[in-house]
Amino acid sequence: MSLPFIREAMTQLFSKPSTEAYPAEPKDAFPNYRGRISFDADKCIDCGMCERVCAGGAITKKVEETPEGKRITRMFSLDSCTFCACCADFCSRHAITLTSDYHMVARKSKDLLTAGTYVKKAPAKPAAAKVITPVRDNLKPAVGNGIVAQDGGQ
Amino acid sequence: MKLLMNLVYILIFPGLLFSSVFGLWLAGIDRKILARMQKRVGPPVMQPTYDFFKLMGKETIIPDNAARSTFLLAPYIGLASLIVTVLFIPIAGIQAFGGVADIVVILYLLTIPSLAIMFGGSASGSPFAGVGVSRTMVAIMSYELPLILIMLAVGRLAGRGFDMGITFSLEKIAQYQAANGPNLFCWSMIPAAVAMLFVIPCEVGAQPFDVGEAETEICEGPLVEYSGTPLAIFKLSHAIKMFVMTLLFTALFLGGISTGMLWLDVVIVLGICAVVTLVCMTLAHAITARLKVEQMFRLFWTVIAGLALLSLILVWIGI
Amino acid sequence: MIKKLIDESMAKSPWVFHINAGSCNGCDIELVAVLTPRYDAERLGFKLAGTPRHADIVVVSGPVTAQSKDRVLRTIAQVPDPKVIVTLGSCPCSGNVFKGSYSVVGPLDKYVPVDVSIAGCAPKPEAIIDGLALAAQIIKEKREKQ
Repeated sequence: MSLPFIREAMTQLFSKPSTEAYPAEPKDAFPNYRGRISFDADKCIDCGMCERVCAGGAITKKVEETPEGKRITRMFSLDSCTFCACCADFCSRHAITLTSDYHMVARKSKDLLTAGTYVKKAPAKPAAAKVITPVRDNLKPAVGNGIVAQDGGQ
Repeated sequence: MKLLMNLVYILIFPGLLFSSVFGLWLAGIDRKILARMQKRVGPPVMQPTYDFFKLMGKETIIPDNAARSTFLLAPYIGLASLIVTVLFIPIAGIQAFGGVADIVVILYLLTIPSLAIMFGGSASGSPFAGVGVSRTMVAIMSYELPLILIMLAVGRLAGRGFDMGITFSLEKIAQYQAANGPNLFCWSMIPAAVAMLFVIPCEVGAQPFDVGEAETEICEGPLVEYSGTPLAIFKLSHAIKMFVMTLLFTALFLGGISTGMLWLDVVIVLGICAVVTLVCMTLAHAITARLKVEQMFRLFWTVIAGLALLSLILVWIGI
Repeated sequence: MIKKLIDESMAKSPWVFHINAGSCNGCDIELVAVLTPRYDAERLGFKLAGTPRHADIVVVSGPVTAQSKDRVLRTIAQVPDPKVIVTLGSCPCSGNVFKGSYSVVGPLDKYVPVDVSIAGCAPKPEAIIDGLALAAQIIKEKREKQ
């Protein structure tokens, strides 16, 4: 009858435990960890690709009309996010990045939210247009000797 | 005066307060050393004490088809019988209630805590508890036989020293050891000591013999419907049982040590209890898995009873 | 004085019971990883309880599926007070990728009051330790209010 783990048990009893002292000492995630979303609102152009591509349906936007354009708030609910980074991949302006912050604990899940607000200015209205009469109306009928009237109808 | 002394014995030393404190301490170092063997940091040594007080703060839920009074009283019966058992075992020369037949009384009293778990389990009205109860019954049957043989062997050895045939009094056993050295150092007692080291975890319900209270398998067995203060009393009696069994081992095999100062004797006895706990309960827990019911029964009635019987025969023929 | 001892011990010995309400098991694996030697939640007093009657903290993972909804509610009702309900991962908060499916009946907080949410898919074991430590704090507050 063999007692297989006796040697390990006795040596481990007198050696240092392999536990990380986590709450006492902070710990960073490994590089390229896909954690909390950070959104740079100034780069967003409201193309809507991220919303279309989101796996968990976590991206929504709220629009308010203001005189200088539309005030758009884009919200990323982290309680519905699956951290796949598709939004970051598809964003044409690289406005979305996934940081390596993994501490996402809250008492209410609606509090876990990343949001950014920006104003999408409406395109400039054109100035008062000059009236351009069409060229054809002022043409004299062509005379027989092949001379066409030159003036363009001022 | 005598009444006051008895009350001190029952409630303070070596009764309720002393056994609770040291039982919970033993349970704490068991968990801590187990964690170190598994290369983790482990809970603080006071953790079973925190568990006990936390359980007293929870509400007690009584299931609909439970037998109310048995369900609520069962833990207290177990605790009371354990405290009475402690009063019969001599610690460093102090024995609260002695007598001619201590060993017989202790044998009967030691079955009551396991019976209390069985009463509580059957009163819960849950099928998981029913399975746990039948397994606990098999466990009781397994360890009773070797325990009786061990006690007969030790009693015969001490009785031979007093020309009595056989003695059942723990006080006489302590006197024999004070005169001739601890029993463990006799050749004929070594198989009995090894058998006792196996009987202790089976009685306490520690792994690898904890089929009665198999945690993940049958949702904690007989304790499945308990919550709140009754559960706290069950956990406390588990801890005190560890203390009582190791104290019994000390009294039977390593007794009679006296250095003249009472507190030093008590400290030595507690140290021996801790070492016995670590050897037979923690080490076994760390390196083995849980035994099945039939494997445990077969082990105890063949190997362990054989060891105890060997010791009995050796003592009887006079080695 | 006993009352003070009981209140102090509430935060130091929280027993956890885990319910899988239809989860993909990713969060379950991370939860039992918290009990391994590397992260060792037992040094903070956490222990897996075998039955809901012994538990203080109920950890639910998985979007609540139609088949498991009644059983989850019944199990949560068996936990004695004071108790804390923790949702693990983003599935019980909103359904995550399973939103709108015919068999998912919605976030857990439609049925029971949820005290702590741990987001992530699956959350890192350190984040789970953070969430469980917050839950232990909340249990102490609930006990003091009682």
